[in-house]
Amino acid sequence: MDAHIRKVYVPMTETGFYILLCLREESHGYGIVQKVEELTEGEIRISPGTMYGSLSKMEKDGLIQFVREEEKRKIYRITDLGEQVLDLEMRRIERLHRNMLEVR
Amino acid sequence: MKDTKTEFKFFTIPEWEKEQDYLREQHKRGWKFVRVNFLCMYHFEKCEPEDVIYQLDYNQEGRVHKEEYIQMFQDCGWEYMQDYVGYSYFRKSASEMKGEEEIFCDDSSRLDMMKRVIKGRMLPLVAIFFLVILPNIYLQSQVETPINHVLTFVFVIMFFWYLILFLWFGYQFWKYWKFINK
Repeated sequence: MDAHIRKVYVPMTETGFYILLCLREESHGYGIVQKVEELTEGEIRISPGTMYGSLSKMEKDGLIQFVREEEKRKIYRITDLGEQVLDLEMRRIERLHRNMLEVR
Repeated sequence: MKDTKTEFKFFTIPEWEKEQDYLREQHKRGWKFVRVNFLCMYHFEKCEPEDVIYQLDYNQEGRVHKEEYIQMFQDCGWEYMQDYVGYSYFRKSASEMKGEEEIFCDDSSRLDMMKRVIKGRMLPLVAIFFLVILPNIYLQSQVETPINHVLTFVFVIMFFWYLILFLWFGYQFWKYWKFINK
């Protein structure tokens, strides 16, 4: 993982994290929006401008890859690099959570 | 009673938020946005007053892959209107929203859009400034004929005009950046 990826994605935005999390299964942008809404019980609704921008950026940086197109919707999946970044983030958040519980 | 109207309105490059507010305000007063043309003429038609949120995006990639770009917005309930000088226009009725909605949901993506605007709209101006205006001030002033004097004068005026624009736009972008990072 090069310095650019580290700088941009570690730590990453909540939106970015959920996108990578969801793309461990193939999905299109709107599918991710729905999934995240379901996961967070309506708390987080990713907006289309943010979603479109994040997906193109992550594809360019090689964190996700285009799989195929279905009814004008691009379907993506996470790459190995994306998995590595997600793993780093997960460990960071786990640590955060652990420490939060300790001091609470 | 006329049921359409046309207004001239000029928004500079960093003023997309002002433009969004303007279109929303018109719709609240019963004037539904139809289109804007290249002369900055905004066309409206009469409608029931309603709170409709207007949003502008600036995304070159979306303009190239238009179908899937618009599809994503439509899936999320945003109606696509048109493109104009690189901006894409969307709207969604407030009554269809759960709480406040915008086409960007975090500051990082708002900042990304600002960067795309700077790259797409400001860089060409900077290029003209350094590749056309500056060299011409030098070249025209080297020759001693009346026409070259006039041209030198014209390019010097342009030089100051561009300088003012850069300062003004720079200030606007900085203000927006500050607002986001608050």
